[in-house]
Amino acid sequence: MATDPAPARRDHPGRWPWQLARSHRPAYLALLALLGAGLAGYAWVVAAAAPFSRGALIGVLIPGVVLGTIAVARPPERIPPPEQLDMTGMSYWVICLAAFFEWEASAWRDSSWPWHPSFTNLIDPLMEPHLIKSAAILVWLLAGWALVRR
Amino acid sequence: MPPLPTRGITIAGFVVVVAAMIVLEILARRPGSRIPTLGQWLGYLMRPRIGRILVLAGWWWLGWHYFAR
Repeated sequence: MATDPAPARRDHPGRWPWQLARSHRPAYLALLALLGAGLAGYAWVVAAAAPFSRGALIGVLIPGVVLGTIAVARPPERIPPPEQLDMTGMSYWVICLAAFFEWEASAWRDSSWPWHPSFTNLIDPLMEPHLIKSAAILVWLLAGWALVRR
Repeated sequence: MPPLPTRGITIAGFVVVVAAMIVLEILARRPGSRIPTLGQWLGYLMRPRIGRILVLAGWWWLGWHYFAR
């Protein structure tokens, strides 16, 4: 007897607390605030880790493992991607990305800091203040979550 | 003759490219725009499983590169 095949996992997105709590607005907002505070606290702690230290490595490994596990095992409801992209519109992005990577590659090839700094050479000093680095890590965490939802 | 300000030229190049991307994102969010937003084209790239893996790996690499090194 034929049975219906098991539905694909992507057809049944994970049930996340904030999805369940949406009907209770104050509880939903409180949960969001709690999550935001937790992420900000985590970013603050990771930003304090010294570069090349075990703590810094673990600080970026944990979000990678957590989000990777969520993406594979319990994906949230995804934002539907477009069926196709307008090639003309996309070409503007491709031009910008190609220019960026060409510029970065030439800086890396020349390896002539400070005369021809790479993007990383320029960004690193900007992130020296703890607050700025924490904010950047928080943005990175939120971007990861946004990607998992795509 | 003074040397060419290569550092300034390099920084200006990065500023121009990043500013262009910000302008593109703003233009993409106008109603009826043919330009896809960053999220739309990343979502399109992530339709196949391998695209999803590569984009998420790229995200993780950025974190490692800027925050762990």
